Amino acid sequence: MTDELELLKKDWQKKEAQLPKLTYEEIHNMIWKKSSSIVKWILIISILEFTLPHLLYLVPSFKENMDIYDKLGLHNYIIGLTIFTYCVAFYFILQFYRRYKEISVLDSAKNLMHKIIRTRTTVKHYIIYSLSMIMVIVIMMIIGVYLNDDIFSIFGELRNKAQNISPEKIKISLMIGMAVMGVILTAVMGGIYFLLYGLLVRKLKRNYKDLKQLEV
Amino acid sequence: MNKKLEHQFVTELENNQNIVHKVCTLYTNDRDSHKDLFQEITIQLWKAYPKFRGDSKFSTWMYRVALNTAITLYRKSKKRIQTQDYESVIFKIAANEYDPQEEQQLQLMYKAVKQLGDIEKALVFLYLEDKDYREISETLGITEVNARVKMNRIRNKLKTILNP
Repeated sequence: MTDELELLKKDWQKKEAQLPKLTYEEIHNMIWKKSSSIVKWILIISILEFTLPHLLYLVPSFKENMDIYDKLGLHNYIIGLTIFTYCVAFYFILQFYRRYKEISVLDSAKNLMHKIIRTRTTVKHYIIYSLSMIMVIVIMMIIGVYLNDDIFSIFGELRNKAQNISPEKIKISLMIGMAVMGVILTAVMGGIYFLLYGLLVRKLKRNYKDLKQLEV
Repeated sequence: MNKKLEHQFVTELENNQNIVHKVCTLYTNDRDSHKDLFQEITIQLWKAYPKFRGDSKFSTWMYRVALNTAITLYRKSKKRIQTQDYESVIFKIAANEYDPQEEQQLQLMYKAVKQLGDIEKALVFLYLEDKDYREISETLGITEVNARVKMNRIRNKLKTILNP
């Protein structure tokens, strides 16, 4: 039996005559259109992820909530943590930028995929770190509530509503409530993130795996 | 970027557009997606054009950018309903030298190639374009030995699809 691929090769070269032909103007118009490549999407989503959490501080009600940290005696810790957070964010942005710049369409297919995945991994680590930070703050708040002797001085509005309940019970309910909220918040944010990126890079990961398998 | 560069690029691409069309034919299933992918490849080629130094042929350089875009960078912009009436170029029968039996076999082959994975398609494409294993391996970033091994596996896979 003759090799089918050889037969195909001969025919493939004959098919050229039937291919569509675009005019100079049509091609010229295309070069100014916007790219919708996966790299561009990774950049847009990453910038959003780096900036959105910081914009929260601009919301007035969020600022008011910051008072709770003062009342819980966490003020200095929070300032320290904020400085630390910005340093880490800066490090991640720098790292992201360096890796993003390395992505080149002129690379081999494997290198290109590897570099895109590496760039994404930087953001993934940043997200994991951010989610852990939320948990750390929640844990700090729970400890703050636990160590505080006068819970009504912080949550004044509770004083009238919960006259018949012992402060101990309120403290425990608050701590449990915070813990549950913390876990839900982390899970939801993590869920959205991994879903978003999962869909974005599904094809890329599959192809990268196919290429890597060739090496075994 | 200046007008001269722009003109030079569009002219080069116009003369070599077949390469891009062939990649689009392999990686898409309807007319709109074909156009979409063609556009994305054009944008990527244009963005990378200043880095094209002319030490290799423009067409050689195009293979890499076109395949990288099709395999890795391209994302379908929206969900498409596959149009039934669309017959990809590769399924069209060549008017001259028509041999029904051979034609049928070719149709089956093209269908089988369309069923392959993205990486496998890239290998077959470069092979059909008469590229040697050195160029295939460099474009994909694998070793020459692995390219040969993979190509043999694809050959067998196609045989199985054709003779189940």
